[in-house]
Amino acid sequence: MSAGPTSLLGLSNPSSPWLLSLVKYFNIFKVSLIERLTYRADFLLGTFLRMLPLVTTLLLWRAVYATKDEISGYTFRQVVAYLLLVHVSRMFSSMPGLASGIARDVRDGNLKRYLIQPLDLMAYLLAYRVAHKVAYIVTSLPLYSVIFWLFWGFFEWPDAPRLYVAYFAALVMSFLLGFAFEASLGMLGFWFLEISSFLYLVNTVNFFVSGHFLPLDLLDPWVAGVLKVLPMQYMAYFPAALIMGKAGDWESIVLGLGIEAIWCLVFFSVARLGYLAGLRRYSGYGG
Amino acid sequence: MGADAMQPGRSFIGYLRLLGVFARFSLTREMAFRGNFVMKVLLELVWLMILLVFYQTLFRGVDSISGWDRYSFLFFLGCYYTLEGVVETLFLENFVEFSDLVRSGNLDLHLLKPIDEQFLLSFRLVDWSTVPKLFIGAGMMVISVLQLGHPVGALNIVCFLGTFIAGVSMAYSFLLILSSTAIWMVRNQSLMELWWLFSTLMRYPRDIYNVTWAWPIRIVFSFVLPALLVVSVPAEVIGRATMNPWWICWMGISALLSFVLSRWIFIRSIACYRSASS
Repeated sequence: MSAGPTSLLGLSNPSSPWLLSLVKYFNIFKVSLIERLTYRADFLLGTFLRMLPLVTTLLLWRAVYATKDEISGYTFRQVVAYLLLVHVSRMFSSMPGLASGIARDVRDGNLKRYLIQPLDLMAYLLAYRVAHKVAYIVTSLPLYSVIFWLFWGFFEWPDAPRLYVAYFAALVMSFLLGFAFEASLGMLGFWFLEISSFLYLVNTVNFFVSGHFLPLDLLDPWVAGVLKVLPMQYMAYFPAALIMGKAGDWESIVLGLGIEAIWCLVFFSVARLGYLAGLRRYSGYGG
Repeated sequence: MGADAMQPGRSFIGYLRLLGVFARFSLTREMAFRGNFVMKVLLELVWLMILLVFYQTLFRGVDSISGWDRYSFLFFLGCYYTLEGVVETLFLENFVEFSDLVRSGNLDLHLLKPIDEQFLLSFRLVDWSTVPKLFIGAGMMVISVLQLGHPVGALNIVCFLGTFIAGVSMAYSFLLILSSTAIWMVRNQSLMELWWLFSTLMRYPRDIYNVTWAWPIRIVFSFVLPALLVVSVPAEVIGRATMNPWWICWMGISALLSFVLSRWIFIRSIACYRSASS
């Protein structure tokens, strides 16, 4: 690309290095957004098909609740609401291909570009992922709007505005946690040549322990207790439970958000330390 | 080329022997990366655990789901798990690879081989890491049969085996149709997505679709694209001792029709292949 980042944004006279840096990552965001929207039909088909498992799951739960009104504190309507809200959580926290992308860059030597260009790996990937998330959320919005409109009566929305603020904070942090968690896993690529099977295993476990499959409260109490201590619950269960009023009183919610923030910091630190330690081993073959 | 393959020298026995060679070759390949193989087996066990915890959770609060009690539902799950194991062991990897061959233009090499193209592309790779699923699934079925409240006779077993094979054949045909479309849509990332859709419809008993608004789904996926029958019909034969001759016959007819249709689509799509590669 011959044009500099500032001219691409229409800024000819950057006043500070800080602004220049911001413009650089904004451009990464812009290019990634255009790339993501290139395969619209494929993308929309994929999104549509993902709805079918939702329909069969709803039918299964309807059959489960045919003879009972309430199981472990959840009515049928609440389970449906939960399963829809968990989609919103995962919309923010899922990071397909992030860890495997880092491991691939390490393996085939493409990591070099982050070392010789004035570009930080983590900052670049974060900007890239924000673009992907924005594209994903915007293109899925019409479909999700229809689904939420169809099931509007199943939701019991809270009155207190602060709960919506807390929900939004939980979702943003679930994005950051999902990013840092996947990036930490990707750093394993410095030590192991092939980690794809391991990543698939972790994602499978995560799918269940994060509460994507079913509300954690429906599990045996001791299993649910263990899973609620793990950081994965913040990627699916916690935001959904929060807005449904299932995450306890305000103090518990604030505590939950605080713990989520700590997990974000922990995983960002792990990813950064893993990256620095990995670079000491990195030989830059290939590419 | 397909007709040439049916020479006396390439008899049914010949194809069976080739299948044995493919299986041996795949095993040798797997054993070169033992760590990866162990990880894949572990992954299957994790899925099994998730499936069982889910099953346990469903029956924590209720005694039966759409007429399926705890043990008949376990039989259904065992049947689903075994069928999925058969599909994953024999076909799935081949079809995923098929899309890649089309994209990279490497399909040429396979089309030149003096055997039936469909056979080669469907059975070239055997995924040994999913073989344990066959035994675990069969184990689940045996455990549930021992606990079922009704007797299971020889006729049930024969009908079960027949409909199970028909189910595998339908799953195979559907995969073949899906991957044949890879020739027209070169960027075919949604193959696995579509397979996921198909297997989602197989995952739960078809009785859960007995809701007014779900009737269109039930009709379409029983008669047009009969995904709902694949596991439900064989599982009903033993799990619930339901021997409805109409459904059993329809299962056989749809398996045959899907196979013929998939073969036709495959041959048509091969004729369209332009070997575009980099």
